[in-house]
Amino acid sequence: MISRRGFLGASAGAALGALTASACSTAPSGGQAAGAKTLRCWDHFQPRADLHKKLFADFQKSSGVAVEYTVYNPNQQGQALQLAFGSKQLPDVFTTAGVQLPHARLRKEGWLAPIEIEKEALSAMPADVFLNGFTHFEDKLYSLPLVNFRQYSTLTWYNVELATKAGLDPERDLATWDGFRQAARKIEAAGGDGISGWIAPLQFAPRLGEHVTELSMAAGGVGAVDPRTGEYGHARDPFVHAIEFLVSLKKDGLLFPASTSLDARTSRARWSTGVAGLFFDGPWNIGVVNDQFKSFLDKVGVAPIPTSEAGREAILYASPKAGDYCVAATSQHQDQAAELVKLFTSEEVMLAETEQMDGMPVNLDLVDKAKVHPTYKTAAGIFRRQVRLRPAAEVRNPGASDVVAEMKQIEPNLGGIVQGVLSGQLKDVRKALKEYDAKLTAERDRAVKAVAAKGVEVTADDWAFANWTPGQDYGRDKYKTS
Amino acid sequence: MSVADEVLSARRGAGNNRWSTARLLRRLPWWIAAAVIGIGGLLWIYPFLWMVGASLKNPLEVFTAGLSLLPEKAEWSNYSRAWSDAGFGKYLINTVIVTVTTVILVVLRCAMAGYVLARQTFFGRKVVMVVLIATLFVPTGYTIIPVVEISEQLGLLNSLTGMVLALSGGAHVASILLYLGYFRQLPRELEESAVIDGAGFFNIFARIMLPLANPVTATVTLLTFLGTWNAFFLPLVFSFSRPDLRTLSVGMLAFVGENSTDWSGMAAAASISLLPVVVLFILLQRYFVEGIAGAVKS
Amino acid sequence: MAVTAVPEAPAERRTRRADRPPKGSRQGRNQLWVWLFLTPTVVLYGVYTVYPIIASYWYSFVEWNGFDADKTWVGLANYKAVLADPLFWNSFKITVLFMVAVVPLKVLLTLLLALVLNSPKLPLRTLFRTAFFLPVVTTTAIVGVVMQFVFDPASGPVNVVLRELGLVADGINFLGDPKTALWTVVGVYIWKWFGVTLIYWLAALQTVPDEVYEAAAIDGAGPWKLLHHITLPLLKPFAVIITLLTLESTLKVFDLMLTMTNGGPFYATEVVEIYIYRWAFAATVPQLGFASAAAVVFGLFVGLVGLLQLAGIRAVRKTRSDR
Repeated sequence: MISRRGFLGASAGAALGALTASACSTAPSGGQAAGAKTLRCWDHFQPRADLHKKLFADFQKSSGVAVEYTVYNPNQQGQALQLAFGSKQLPDVFTTAGVQLPHARLRKEGWLAPIEIEKEALSAMPADVFLNGFTHFEDKLYSLPLVNFRQYSTLTWYNVELATKAGLDPERDLATWDGFRQAARKIEAAGGDGISGWIAPLQFAPRLGEHVTELSMAAGGVGAVDPRTGEYGHARDPFVHAIEFLVSLKKDGLLFPASTSLDARTSRARWSTGVAGLFFDGPWNIGVVNDQFKSFLDKVGVAPIPTSEAGREAILYASPKAGDYCVAATSQHQDQAAELVKLFTSEEVMLAETEQMDGMPVNLDLVDKAKVHPTYKTAAGIFRRQVRLRPAAEVRNPGASDVVAEMKQIEPNLGGIVQGVLSGQLKDVRKALKEYDAKLTAERDRAVKAVAAKGVEVTADDWAFANWTPGQDYGRDKYKTS
Repeated sequence: MSVADEVLSARRGAGNNRWSTARLLRRLPWWIAAAVIGIGGLLWIYPFLWMVGASLKNPLEVFTAGLSLLPEKAEWSNYSRAWSDAGFGKYLINTVIVTVTTVILVVLRCAMAGYVLARQTFFGRKVVMVVLIATLFVPTGYTIIPVVEISEQLGLLNSLTGMVLALSGGAHVASILLYLGYFRQLPRELEESAVIDGAGFFNIFARIMLPLANPVTATVTLLTFLGTWNAFFLPLVFSFSRPDLRTLSVGMLAFVGENSTDWSGMAAAASISLLPVVVLFILLQRYFVEGIAGAVKS
Repeated sequence: MAVTAVPEAPAERRTRRADRPPKGSRQGRNQLWVWLFLTPTVVLYGVYTVYPIIASYWYSFVEWNGFDADKTWVGLANYKAVLADPLFWNSFKITVLFMVAVVPLKVLLTLLLALVLNSPKLPLRTLFRTAFFLPVVTTTAIVGVVMQFVFDPASGPVNVVLRELGLVADGINFLGDPKTALWTVVGVYIWKWFGVTLIYWLAALQTVPDEVYEAAAIDGAGPWKLLHHITLPLLKPFAVIITLLTLESTLKVFDLMLTMTNGGPFYATEVVEIYIYRWAFAATVPQLGFASAAAVVFGLFVGLVGLLQLAGIRAVRKTRSDR
């Protein structure tokens, strides 16, 4: 860090010092080096906040350590963490919501400390959620997952009342894209004035990008990067068709008109008022409805993501996830912080977390035992059937994390392109996607060069996995033979 | 026009206070104007009313009821939730402390700066003006990181003092310019006669000039109050390690989550936190309209 | 040059410097007082505004994502990248459009209303003033939600009225159509911040000395004459300041734009502030250097516009005083 304390700062400092002679007390910025009296914890798990408050209160009773707990909205949490890191005020325990840098990079930059929890404590968690390069580095735990990678955000949520009115059999009629379109049409016809077939958060580009990526996999695609070759594949048919599917819904007038100015939160709220029949969302949808729109709870039904053609089981490839709770490298009380994180490893707590119906728990089997809405159980079953772990360059070669961190965002990104097509500003979908792929490839090559110039051994080939088999999890054992 | 009318009616004596037909006719255009403005005013206050209404609705009703203002059944629990969830009691005290001290600091420093820039010639005046005008146009908001760095170096993070200083050091160029514009157009005889009476520099400012600037002071107070009361980023940064120093706007964070926003709770919290601003506005109103008392008759 | 940002006072003051006899010790003491008066501003403003701006200039020469401990010096690379980005120029264009649309409308409309509200003959003035100020204090996030209802393409009252009047067949998608989104936000922005400019004008109107009106009224000048010959000329210095402040405040449409359109659809409403925000905070890997460079480029442009304005005002004044 280059210091820039110039004359201005120094002289102003002197003057301010005089002004603040009568200042209120400032907190010592290190804290007591002995046993902690309080730990600070930040996360973004709004739906679980009450549960966490209770857990932390119990923790204080048993250990005598109070927890100052703050729940953030992810966008603001990213900024808050950025500023807190800059001013050496990282909370002891935190989730990295809103921070898009790979954990490998954060660890290198002095954010993360290893979490000292004995291996037995993790026995209630399935082994496949742990992975070197994501939750672990050099076989040490650096972040504890609370949410499973085995989930996606394009489940088809439907309004049972409207679907019944339209005479639909959701399981059959919502299975394919054509069926989805038909169903939306019937819902509009039967619903009468002011009822739309489909509502979507079109203002929220990242979510739009997720939906299209997942729909493309439901059309037989392999995602944004082809695991076999490591090439970007946005311009391939599955993506183009997925976007065309969404455009057709809009063209046919099946889209709730105000969707263009809705984000995910408001579109969910509007959907819960019964103005539209179908809504793509993740498993947390039912948690929010249960929390905020209880009167709508009985009208919620869920079906898997629709596929491009009948009879195909959609297989969606999910990237490995880093964990959620981290311990700050700057924390003075890393052992107590680890104790706090350890709370979330017990089956009992995981079960309670599951019952909040937020993201899927790391152990999907807990959903069957938990007291949750039937749709949440259905969703867990769908994910078990349909979601597979994809290979990640970062696991094979830690240097790949540096490349990911080095890469600049390409604009317009996928979500932006989808927005542009839907609003009619972009005419040629395939051309836009081709350009996007070209830019991504060029940027990755640039980043590989830049990182390699610093002496890290990494090439674009690290993204290619010759032994990847469609339809299977790419687990730890596979990396050994790749 | 206003004052002129008052003066005229005063001259004509009290006969004017009777509601004669002629007077009514003269008044009629004003009533028509009032009606037109009234309709506009309704459009203006509608969203505010909607917010207050939403604060009494249940979360689903916020969206089902769409544009209607009245809830089916008033949900006072939103207010209790806002109060307890957002720890509002403590935050309210912090916000009041921070806002009041910031307003006092800003009014004083801007009035003083505006005064000397308007009525004194001194070496370096141009430089100060250039810097002020130049910074008016720099997109701020991205300067938060250097602000954090320097506050940390000065040992001012995690304190209300640091928060107040940073907020009052922020861009209040507008306020300086308002004072400057105001002091510029006061007649010079004011100072001259005061100097002859033997008043010193400070006394002229404090006893004569500042009281004359009431309308501007009211404006600056109101705008600074509003800005500080709703400031988000700086208070957030300054209370990272000390949640007990949070202000209301930072406390509002509690209502916006990753997957859901507690709209009715937020509306309740917003209604609570806006009450003081509205009250202040109503109180300060009269200063905008009061003629300048004691303007020197030349 | 910037002195002219402050309108010259009435003519008799123009000669101030010339006719003031030097008063040695008094003058010196005065200078001391002057700087004493400026100290709080110089210190506070210097530390919390000027220094951070200079520091952010420095950021524009480095590559930094805000999460790393180190910054890498890259020289002018960020500037090159910004100037080469078509989306930057797009946001630039949109910001200028937004300014050009908002400033004159807002300044003139608020002036008109202020003149009416300033008259004691108007009934219910206090109430009206409060009403027009309320949007200013209404929380932006909530304004975003209400406006989504108001401009709803199907059921919103604006569209209902338009359909009833037979002006449109189908509802206009105000916020979702790239052709209308920006203008809708212009309207909402003027509506929301109307009250602030109104207060500026009301305060300015109060500075018109009573005796001027008295004299004029005795001379039998009607209200239009008063307005044309007295009120407006006296408001001129304020007009410059208020226009300047309004111009400056339109650069800060950020949170309203974020809640209403989020810069969309497809960058149709992405003003520079949103562009900067996107790179500084919302990007997968934030590019604070790049964002700072964009801020600097834009700041320089606006500064330039400001200078041209001042030069223009100055020139106009010169020709007048020469006559």
